Amino acid sequence: MNAALPERTALTLGPVLFNWAPETWRDFYLRIADEAAVDTVVLGEVVCSKRAPLYGVHLPAVASRLKAAGKEVVFATLALVIGPRDLELVEALCGADALIEANDVSALGHLRGRPHAIGPMINVYNEGTLAWLASNGARRICLPPELSADSIEQLGSVAIDREVLAFGRLPLAVSARCYHARSRGLTKNTCQYACDADADGMAVETMEGESFVAVNGMQTLSHACANLLGDVDDLQRRGVRRLRLSPQKVDMVAVAQVFRDRLDGTLAADESLERLEDLAPDLPFTNGFYHHAEGSAWVPARG
Amino acid sequence: MNAIDRKVQPMELVCPAGTPAALRTAVDAGADSVYVGFRDETNARNFPGLNFSRPELEAGIAYAHAKGAKVLVAINTYPRAGDMGPWHRAVADAAALGADAVILADMGLCAHTAEHHPELRRHLSVQASASNPAAIRFYQAAFGVKRVVLPRVLTVDQIRALNREIEVETEVFVFGGLCTMAEGRCVLSGYVTGISPNKDGACSPASHVRYEDQGDKLVARLGGMCVDQFPTGSPAGYPTLCKGRYVTGNDDKAAYLFEEPTSLSMIEHLPALQAAGVRALKIEGRQRGRAYVGRVVQAFREAVDDVAAGLPPNARDLMALAEGGRGTEGAYRKAWQ
Amino acid sequence: MLFAGFALRPIPPWLLQPALDRGLRHVLDRHPDLFERLADLDRPRYRIDVTDLPFGFVLDVAPERLTLVRRPELVDVAATATIRAPLLTLLELMQGRLDGDALFFSRDLVVEGDTEAVVALRNAIDGAGIDLIEEAMGVLGLLAGPLRAVLERAQRVFDAAASDLETVRQAALAPLARRREADRARLEDLERKVAELSRRRKREERA
Repeated sequence: MNAALPERTALTLGPVLFNWAPETWRDFYLRIADEAAVDTVVLGEVVCSKRAPLYGVHLPAVASRLKAAGKEVVFATLALVIGPRDLELVEALCGADALIEANDVSALGHLRGRPHAIGPMINVYNEGTLAWLASNGARRICLPPELSADSIEQLGSVAIDREVLAFGRLPLAVSARCYHARSRGLTKNTCQYACDADADGMAVETMEGESFVAVNGMQTLSHACANLLGDVDDLQRRGVRRLRLSPQKVDMVAVAQVFRDRLDGTLAADESLERLEDLAPDLPFTNGFYHHAEGSAWVPARG
Repeated sequence: MNAIDRKVQPMELVCPAGTPAALRTAVDAGADSVYVGFRDETNARNFPGLNFSRPELEAGIAYAHAKGAKVLVAINTYPRAGDMGPWHRAVADAAALGADAVILADMGLCAHTAEHHPELRRHLSVQASASNPAAIRFYQAAFGVKRVVLPRVLTVDQIRALNREIEVETEVFVFGGLCTMAEGRCVLSGYVTGISPNKDGACSPASHVRYEDQGDKLVARLGGMCVDQFPTGSPAGYPTLCKGRYVTGNDDKAAYLFEEPTSLSMIEHLPALQAAGVRALKIEGRQRGRAYVGRVVQAFREAVDDVAAGLPPNARDLMALAEGGRGTEGAYRKAWQ
Repeated sequence: MLFAGFALRPIPPWLLQPALDRGLRHVLDRHPDLFERLADLDRPRYRIDVTDLPFGFVLDVAPERLTLVRRPELVDVAATATIRAPLLTLLELMQGRLDGDALFFSRDLVVEGDTEAVVALRNAIDGAGIDLIEEAMGVLGLLAGPLRAVLERAQRVFDAAASDLETVRQAALAPLARRREADRARLEDLERKVAELSRRRKREERA
């Protein structure tokens, strides 16, 4: 991980946020290792510590396969850390000899003085906070999804790699309550892993049938899917050299290729957008936060 | 053992004030501390016509101090990139006006305050979502915070365990509006309206609320989106996004997926909180009227003193003041999660 | 439709304007910063539609003016926001007894247009820490007694319900009929006093 900005814009594959079956999870990453045009892969459980043991058995093999394929591997910590089980998970991860992406302040004490990354679940809205985190050892940050283009640019005053979420459902909230469990009359303790039924999150609609959000256990994601394909030139002008693609149940290898080709200039803006629409026909796109609008809005590219 | 033998130091009662009138009401009703904000986006209750100008805060602090009460200034939104001036000025003015503490959420602002106003007492806002000993120890070590307002994600047992592992004081919410999501980590409002608690200090803002009478029902909308519907003649609620009714694939019927429109009410559980080592109790509601503030503060004053004297708290019915007329213990009870 | 409107219906609106002017002046003399909390808004104008009266009000904040307008003409007034409610609910609002959170909980009170401006107005009244009605009483002369009686009666209901609009609404539905009868008697008394007051003013003006 270098503080110096690479000329080329890199692609990061964010962690799988959903509860996929362990074999599905493993096979997904094995294919990423072999085929995906991403530079970095973030692994680990961000949403619910009860899920970590399920696919944990495959984690070492997946990590070494990704490394063997030339990918940088980063491990993400939990977003909401409450009980001893959560804390143990964070401590164990921070103790490992690996690059760690902190998604809760509980990890920052462990990571102090050593290079690490900051995930999108830590509130970083300004250069004061970012500078402090850099002084604590942070070298890269995936910015929170609600930051506008202007804020993202302002944060460039701190010498740290800025990464922006460019594809995937937006993480909107975390809670101590599991809504997947609640929707079935269960609680977090008795959840029966209700969240494994929805590979892209559970669709939530208003009483008028309008799509609103997707529930992923204790996490709430946007219904709409971030798509900054039309904004990549603007992002580069603002000094952003790293984009994050957050896994959805779509062909992520193909999604990564669209972004790679667009960034390399081998695919025109209009065509790249059409390809992405074909790849994710059920996911409406949004870039509202980036354009200082409501997060569900879609602002067409300005020429 | 009689009641006098069991008397311990009462927990500090921290009460909301959205206006000078509410501050005076809260102090007169027995608040140990009153928390307030400046009239701008630097605090998480940035509602139209609410909060304090600098002269109002000066007068409010004088009033509170004359009656032995403290004033805590909430500067608990996240400063804007490239425009941190308003937040830095808020901290400087709170210090200059003699505030007893500032309540901060942003790490950068914590660092700024520790550096430029080291003698100004720092509390960590609930908006910082410090939910475990490691996070709290980090804020203490890095920024010297003296008290943490705990996010509403912990059970009473977890709070007791937490207090055994940390040195700083803890403050917990005991009454009022209930965030269903972890505080400071929710952008639902921003997703629907573009205005969010972290950036703008407002959630589900009134400016985006619309009620639409469709004859047989009233539709409550936020940013044009239907949050709930109410049949004619039944009570209508404010369209806060996490208290709305939605439809999921599991059930075609609309349900309160996140939380029912209830308020937090912990007055009956004050002895358990005291036993768990909680130092201060917080009442939510800077946006509520002075009549509300007066009633709730008075009820809690009596209850806190009773508990300190080893008596059961008089849980007189505060529910008339609660949202939807119902109360919940929220995450303090494990089955809620 | 409701009690108050029924009782006040026979009074020609223009008779009340001078009292309104004096009432507002009196309040502003004592609380010059009353509307300071609305400074961020662009000179808001509120259309106050009293559903049980034959007239409503237009409240301008800069410069301050409370104008009485006949109901049919009220719809033509351009305003930042409209507040539509029965008289008693509006009086509670002016007393700062209605809660900001609860402002919309009731269909007794309907807000149209800029809801933010209405919340700001409520906060301004609440923040002044004054009881506008009580203060205005001073200039209402003979009106004050009966009006206060009506308000005190209402206040007991509201006290029991802690002034929350939600509970107010619940309280209002069942006992409404009973309250109406009692209040009507008081308002008839009020009506007589208003008539007497206006006759006296006419005499003064002629003199």
